[in-house]
Amino acid sequence: MYRRFAPRVRLYGLRHLRNEDAARDLVQQVMLVTIEKLRGGSVRDVDQIASFVLGVSRTMVKDLKRLEWRRDKLREAFVFPDVVEATVGDATLDADRLEMCLARLAERERMVVLLTFYAERTAGEVGKELGVKEGNVRVIRHRAVERLRTCMTSGEVAN
Amino acid sequence: MASCQAPIPDGTLLDYWAHDLPDGVETDQVEEHLFACGDCSARLHGLAALGPGLATLVRQGRVSGSVSRALLNRMQREGIHIRLYSLAPGETVPCAVFPGDDLIVTVLRADFSAVEAVTLSVTGPEDTPFSQLDNVPVSGPDAEVLWATPAAVVRRLPSMRLQLTLASADATRAELGRYVLDHRAIGRASD
Repeated sequence: MYRRFAPRVRLYGLRHLRNEDAARDLVQQVMLVTIEKLRGGSVRDVDQIASFVLGVSRTMVKDLKRLEWRRDKLREAFVFPDVVEATVGDATLDADRLEMCLARLAERERMVVLLTFYAERTAGEVGKELGVKEGNVRVIRHRAVERLRTCMTSGEVAN
Repeated sequence: MASCQAPIPDGTLLDYWAHDLPDGVETDQVEEHLFACGDCSARLHGLAALGPGLATLVRQGRVSGSVSRALLNRMQREGIHIRLYSLAPGETVPCAVFPGDDLIVTVLRADFSAVEAVTLSVTGPEDTPFSQLDNVPVSGPDAEVLWATPAAVVRRLPSMRLQLTLASADATRAELGRYVLDHRAIGRASD
């Protein structure tokens, strides 16, 4: 069960918290609660486990976000420097290959990919930054990711 | 494991990860599916791996081509050592790469009010092509073009003058500005 759900909880945490450490903490907390509930017999139906794990993840992320909001307020009050830590993720992609594939993208595709996945900007934000309509950003992003995927797996860039 | 009977479309998965799905029913449905489906969860994992992968490249100064201010700001906040050279049309600026530099960014200013995208051509001595950036988006009269080159690449260059030419990317190919980077190699025995 851990092997099945832990990666999904981690992804959920990354998507909502945008922080690898926080996502890993979330996995531990969610899995602990889930295992306790299973042992206690609170969750009996195997088909309900996915929904239960998602529910616990949602609640915990809300709590963590509230905590982060309070921390932000404290930071603002005490003027702590705004330190952004680089994500130390499971960088399983081959860096050399990714560099080559990224370089093969068209300029605006590369910018959209970097703004989306590195700078964590939405399509609307990317659009404002580049002077491109939000809908077009989504099209460019979709095409760019497809080309990257093709290049990463085969070494070729689709036209 | 049985394969997914109703996979989440790639575009939806991408929108979900990029926070472009409206919060509510659609996002809830995607999350419920992801928690129950190993196939789609694995696809999202592949997509999510791009973030740390790109962050690794950026941290190592291995990003080249055009970048935006938002990207530059993000890199600087994360401690990437960026050396900026800013040029107006007609200007010649001496430049060099110093120990500790990760990325060299050349900021080109021009009047972009009549264009949506530009082409940047960079040539070395005797007009030898050095780099070309096609169809770089620009927006508004205050726009600028930011050209990033890994410091490791510049470190290998001998002292030389680089001629940069900006032109509109439309059919007119109207020239918007010429610039010169007077690169001085530091610590190269041959120079």
